[in-house]
Amino acid sequence: MADKQLDATVAAAAFQKQWFANLRRRVFDERQPYALVQADVPFELFDLVDIPAVSNQWWAAIVAAKRQAAAYLDAMAADGHHDGLCRYCSLGYASTRYCDVQEPPWGGLPTPRLLCARLTCDCIHRVFSMWAEKFGSEFIEIDNPGANYLPPRWWELSRHRWRELVEPHRLAFAVSTLERLVERVEAITKRRLDRAALRERLEKVNQQEETFDAVRGLVASAPEAPVRMTEQISNVMATQWVRGSEWALSHARAFHEEVRQRVESGVAACPGERARLMWIGAGLWHDTDFYTAFEMSHRAVFVWSMYLAFGPDGYIRYGLDDPMAALASRSASFNEYLHNPPWASEWIVQQARDHRIDAAIVLHPRSMKAAATGRLFIERALESAGIPVLPIEGDVVDERAWNPAGARAAVRSFLDTKVMS
Amino acid sequence: MDAALAGRLADTAQIIIPRTSDPDYKCFLYLREFLRVKIGATLPSAVLFDLLQSNGPEVREYNAARTRVLFEELAMVSGRRASLDDLRYEIERTNVARAAVRRLTAQRRGTPRVTGSEAFPLLGAFWCLPPEEYATLAAEAAEDIERRPPLAGPRVLLAGAPVDCPALHAGVESRGGIVVSEISPWGNESAGNDVVCEGDPINAVSDKYRADAIGPRTPASAMRESIAGALEQVDAVVLSLPPEDTAFGWDYPALRSAFDRKCIPYTCLYGDPYQPLSDSDAARLDDVITAAETRMETRHG
Repeated sequence: MADKQLDATVAAAAFQKQWFANLRRRVFDERQPYALVQADVPFELFDLVDIPAVSNQWWAAIVAAKRQAAAYLDAMAADGHHDGLCRYCSLGYASTRYCDVQEPPWGGLPTPRLLCARLTCDCIHRVFSMWAEKFGSEFIEIDNPGANYLPPRWWELSRHRWRELVEPHRLAFAVSTLERLVERVEAITKRRLDRAALRERLEKVNQQEETFDAVRGLVASAPEAPVRMTEQISNVMATQWVRGSEWALSHARAFHEEVRQRVESGVAACPGERARLMWIGAGLWHDTDFYTAFEMSHRAVFVWSMYLAFGPDGYIRYGLDDPMAALASRSASFNEYLHNPPWASEWIVQQARDHRIDAAIVLHPRSMKAAATGRLFIERALESAGIPVLPIEGDVVDERAWNPAGARAAVRSFLDTKVMS
Repeated sequence: MDAALAGRLADTAQIIIPRTSDPDYKCFLYLREFLRVKIGATLPSAVLFDLLQSNGPEVREYNAARTRVLFEELAMVSGRRASLDDLRYEIERTNVARAAVRRLTAQRRGTPRVTGSEAFPLLGAFWCLPPEEYATLAAEAAEDIERRPPLAGPRVLLAGAPVDCPALHAGVESRGGIVVSEISPWGNESAGNDVVCEGDPINAVSDKYRADAIGPRTPASAMRESIAGALEQVDAVVLSLPPEDTAFGWDYPALRSAFDRKCIPYTCLYGDPYQPLSDSDAARLDDVITAAETRMETRHG
């Protein structure tokens, strides 16, 4: 694995490990509840009634990064689940269902009090239902209404005019599902959600994301990228799972300060940078070295992924008179922001321009069909904007069919022939 | 999508896409995008009928509202303002056709008198013909079938990803099996129960279509209940799990346990039902029909 260039990255990794150890202690020793949730569920609602929430995607990334996914996925296949099913959303389930195949990372997931997921892709209901059944835990599902209208340039509306982003009936539905979720978690914890505290939390989330916006600005405008994409992700995601907390805010500021100092001192992630790359898709968690593999050979640096950029554009909400509506407006359209036309493609093209991107590598995950099909629109939009695109087939957590040397060779050839020629 | 892009829907006033699956939703978004970026100059406009299928308490109200909006949009497109009484009348007409479907499906229960290959298009036509015409034709078909002798051969349920073409029926029946049921909106489950319209007909329609929808977003428990209900009438189960399946494959281990408990032979086919059976799928089908025949012989002494 590439050396970490920022102290903040080391601190973020240490925090996550300690956070998870504390969670296990809390659950096992103090018999306190925690929740296992999809990444697009509002974590704030759980945190404010003192139920820590673990993200399914985060856990899958940990398992994959420890190179433990293959054994669980093999066990899942041996149990009769065919190869075309989504691995990213189900790896966590597999690590629970087939827990006897190996020792899980960091001691494994304790039994949650509840699971919660928004029903975006068609598989979510089934994966979470089975997972809840295996744990013997409650599953709260939040349905995901579809959008008939998606206004152009969503990121220009999302901060101040967020009510215009989501059709009123969808927003009302999303609010009612969150209110039902709140009722349930209040009943579990016997604690009332403090609406004033929710507003304060969302204000702190805004501050956190404003800080990331400033980092994004530094990455976009500095002569050479001051921070690798992988380290952006580590710092951003460690805070996103506990967003709006004191630690998250403080860490975001420390990260910004370190990046700012690097820019001021002219320190680059890859000195002599010759090509700026963007990564389209979720992280390649089982092979994060891929992202630094072209620095030595081509001085090509991954400078952009959705993880840093989406925080400021997707999370900031000003005008918090009705904090639940603001929260609902954020999560109601996650899939449309990130995967579906026209929103995903026009946002990514704008990001590419802002970041002076020379080329895009687009992940085509074979098992994540719902996410993958929208990529074709993104590729077309990027190419129309004059940005060369290389699609790469691979799975974000499943390394079994991944050919690291082949993928690297494909990128090198692409850089030689389409980007730096 | 192909038809729309090729201009074959150029004369269509509007494409209405129900939210039966995530791919359906994406189909809607993609059509809108094609229209926006001017790919396919003759594309009609598309509307999403966002009927949700989960069990949350807020879903019923949402669905009723979306159905009401669809009703109004259709009035705008057609230029004909229909009343709620008009809707009640249409519900009654369609219920007559539903009764005709049920008469047909009765001929597949117990010892069947009609093959699945023949019954499947008859049932699927429910969605394509005006109700009175369908009811008349289906009644004629049912009368004909009722006079036929019972068919021999193991009775097979098709489940997994809902079939929408008769190719798997043909594959099963060329091996001696008889497909007597399929968990599919085009088969035995096409019409379902009548729409019960005691109050607001909009609510009645949205409740009915939510309850009877069969697709990847149908709650797994409802799918399992449908399959469990059908197991009493079959000697074998064939699950279709084609490569594009994202949902039904998750049900397999639980279904396998249910089949094992009832000692019902079963198999999974992994090919695209629109393509010829692969050698491995053909071998699986051979094996399951043979096992079902053995089971039948044992059962009948």
